[in-house]
Amino acid sequence: MNFLEVIDLHEATLAENILEIAFETAEKNHAEKILAIGLTLGEMAGVEIEALNLSFDVLKKNTPADGAELKIKRVPIMATCNKCGKNFRLENYNFFCPECDGILILKSGRELLVEFVDCE
Amino acid sequence: MRNILGANDEIAAQNRKIFSERGVIVMNLMGSPGSGKTTLLEKTLARLADKIKIAVIEGDLFTAKDAERIDKQGVEVIQINTAGGCHLDAPMIQKACASLNLSEIDLLIVENVGNLVCPAEFDIGENFKAVVLSITEGDDKPLKYPLIFKESEVVLLNKVDLLPFTNFDLQSAREDLTTLHPTIKIFETSCTKETGLDNWCAWLLKKVEAR
Repeated sequence: MNFLEVIDLHEATLAENILEIAFETAEKNHAEKILAIGLTLGEMAGVEIEALNLSFDVLKKNTPADGAELKIKRVPIMATCNKCGKNFRLENYNFFCPECDGILILKSGRELLVEFVDCE
Repeated sequence: MRNILGANDEIAAQNRKIFSERGVIVMNLMGSPGSGKTTLLEKTLARLADKIKIAVIEGDLFTAKDAERIDKQGVEVIQINTAGGCHLDAPMIQKACASLNLSEIDLLIVENVGNLVCPAEFDIGENFKAVVLSITEGDDKPLKYPLIFKESEVVLLNKVDLLPFTNFDLQSAREDLTTLHPTIKIFETSCTKETGLDNWCAWLLKKVEAR
């Protein structure tokens, strides 16, 4: 299957929003060029990194972010038991506490954040 | 640090505030293309439209085919064409709601674009999300698309009349759904055989009456 056929507009929406935030930041800092954009993306956020990079590379053309790259940090899925209070890194999306009969409440892993914008 | 979906979430919060002020319960109905969302909606309207006031927002890539089906039920329906966009977002719902008299509506059902990925990520200001998973899609879907099943308060395992003709393992699907989302409510429905629909509608009615 051609990669372009499977890319959906959801990552394109994310890329648009990321660029919007970067442009605002650059303008505030009277910068002309955006060099890099740091993202924090949770492992359970519904985002395909490849599709996001592709969308970003298409949308950044002929903008102040033309030469910018995405620096992506992934955040693991962490959850806390509502009974014993212990923290766990989640494997296989099992939200039952492995140590008691409690239920795990998601604490991280859904992040979709612009962490920093490097511009000059 | 800024939320990438911050602009959408802000509008979603505004929508939610207005829905709450006007006393309308909003359900975001999601699921794959062909999972049976619109047929389920037709069956739901047939059972509930004389009990509560319902309006529908239909999300569709290009056509008004689904909206025409709902219109035939005598229920107010607003069509949103996303022109290729794979999900509905909060600003689209805000715009669509401008032509609805929300104070007169008890339940607003938003049928999202058929897709198991993107709609889960976009808050539209709904009270709860519901996802339709049909038997023919396979029992592996909850763990393949965990976000949508984690986000949904209720899942409808639809087309259960086809179970004898597939290798769909109902027990295993229920286990996966429950490990992923321990409090998820599961209904087994068949719209062609009209099974499970009364239970589903009773649950939905309760949800509206509890508002």
